Amino acid sequence: MRPVLLRLCLMCALCAAVPAGVAQSPSEHAVSANPSLAVIARAPEFVLQDTTGKPVRLSDYRGRVVLLAFVFTTCPGVCPLISKQMAALQDGLKRDGLFGRKANMLSVTVDPETDTAPVLTAYAKTYGADPAGWRFLRETQEKTKPVLKAYDEWTKLLPKGELDHPARVYLIDHNGNIREIYSLAFFNERQALIDMKKLIAEPGAG
Amino acid sequence: MEFRKPLSLKLALACALAVAFPASQIEAETCISPYVKALKSPEKVMYLWALPATPGEAPDFLAVIDVNLASPTYGKILKKVEVGSAGNEAHHIGYTDDRTKIWAASLNTSRLFIFDVSDPMNPVLSKTIDNVAQLTGLSGPHTPYAIPGRILVSMASGPNGTGPGGIAEFTNDGKFIKSHPATNNPYETVVKPEFNRMITSTWFPQETWMKPLSEWDPKTWSHPNTLLVWDLKERKIIQTLDSGGDAVMLAARWMLKPGAKYGYNISSGGNSIWMFKMEDDGTFSYKKAGDTGPGCSPADLRQSPDDKYLYVSCFVGSEIQAWDISDPEHIRLFDTIQGVVQPNMMHVTYDGRRLYFTNSAISSIDYSSRYSMQLVQIGPDGRMKLDPNFKIDFARAPEGPARPHDMLLN
Repeated sequence: MRPVLLRLCLMCALCAAVPAGVAQSPSEHAVSANPSLAVIARAPEFVLQDTTGKPVRLSDYRGRVVLLAFVFTTCPGVCPLISKQMAALQDGLKRDGLFGRKANMLSVTVDPETDTAPVLTAYAKTYGADPAGWRFLRETQEKTKPVLKAYDEWTKLLPKGELDHPARVYLIDHNGNIREIYSLAFFNERQALIDMKKLIAEPGAG
Repeated sequence: MEFRKPLSLKLALACALAVAFPASQIEAETCISPYVKALKSPEKVMYLWALPATPGEAPDFLAVIDVNLASPTYGKILKKVEVGSAGNEAHHIGYTDDRTKIWAASLNTSRLFIFDVSDPMNPVLSKTIDNVAQLTGLSGPHTPYAIPGRILVSMASGPNGTGPGGIAEFTNDGKFIKSHPATNNPYETVVKPEFNRMITSTWFPQETWMKPLSEWDPKTWSHPNTLLVWDLKERKIIQTLDSGGDAVMLAARWMLKPGAKYGYNISSGGNSIWMFKMEDDGTFSYKKAGDTGPGCSPADLRQSPDDKYLYVSCFVGSEIQAWDISDPEHIRLFDTIQGVVQPNMMHVTYDGRRLYFTNSAISSIDYSSRYSMQLVQIGPDGRMKLDPNFKIDFARAPEGPARPHDMLLN
């Protein structure tokens, strides 16, 4: 009886999950080898602090490619996933000898009151962030606000107490131009690696 | 014997019930860019992009309509935000990815208007882009569609209103980035992010709809029987899907289930529904999936959040059709609402239970001045019923006379 029931349950589950005639396998066509990375806008300059209190300017990275993410550590949705994907991207950049030298990643908290330096340090450690090329940044609420506004980012407290914010990651080239904007929900670290390598290959980069 | 094994029985029953009555119905905003921050609760406000019944007589406007069932002003227009210019031919609207702005396209002047809806009940016109044809090399903006931090606008034609159009790309706040030429006259853009694929549909160039219907000349249209498949990241057309006959491929919809590699579009000229599908090798197949019936002239295509139903408005046939697409390759007409005059744009709510519709297409082809917005209630069994308690009469004052077209909910 049990095997029959098991088969029945499996069949039920499959019927519910997969409509007839529809393939569910992930596609190998999801990344593009030759992305179009037009200049979108100048990346607004900012000065924030890393978790040791050291000031970090975006322009410190001129000549290098930067992936800039706006996150917060208590985010229940896509932020943990993006940090995990950035950890995978860190590995890819290291494999290719680009990490920290030609390509850097910055994660800026949009909730500096909760994300104190020790909290951010622990969060970075959780994801194995190597400060040689991936730094977590914060500032006071007052000094963070204009940075968020410059990047068309905002925060809003939802009725249930969750923090809402636009879910975006910015790719910035060696000249300080925004060349791609990713959605946190659809971020693909394989594509981001291709994009970063394409920008690194441009004259003047690295 | 089986009844002596209550645990097994319970398990079997639980499985069967789980399939018959899912724990929670599927909720998702449909027919909106997947990059847009989703509405996850019943709608409170509707934005309607409209023009005066006599085009050019007064400015086009964004109407703010109370659709909160608990509100004493339910079903009333709360305000109209005028754009400061007339004769634009208000048409489609789209949210930016963060849902704080609405881009509104106008067919005749090609102007693009950006409304700030950070305060949902009080939209403010924050920017007007006047010189769109000069900026983009394209004219006749149709549908604004969000991608992260940017808007793609499907533009029907070249800068002088003729020839093939393209896709114009802007930042959310209205700075032009780049144009991407198409081989047809783009109508709508729909993206499936997980596959890096974008589909654009087609209609006709700007010079066509600016003439009376009797003067329309299909010979001036660019490949009106095609859909274009793009590599989104490359902004490159990688395949042209050709119906071989049926033309004016208007609304297109990807299915919403993660991993679903197919979708449908309507052919207004062919009175048909077409299915596009990405095969395992990455190429797309394209085939006719259904006939809406002669005289339907499909104007809009919408979908239910659970990928079970498609809704087709028959602009000439004066009915709304519900198609059962549970079996994607064998879709069937499931239900209709008849006797609704020239239905055009529709909007299905996130829970799939309500469908709002308007009844003005474009001023050169509207054949009835009984302009209105109405509501269809959709039951758990998928059956549709016209709501007798919701109707905004745009045929006369105080709401009109105006031609109501595209809608968004918040």
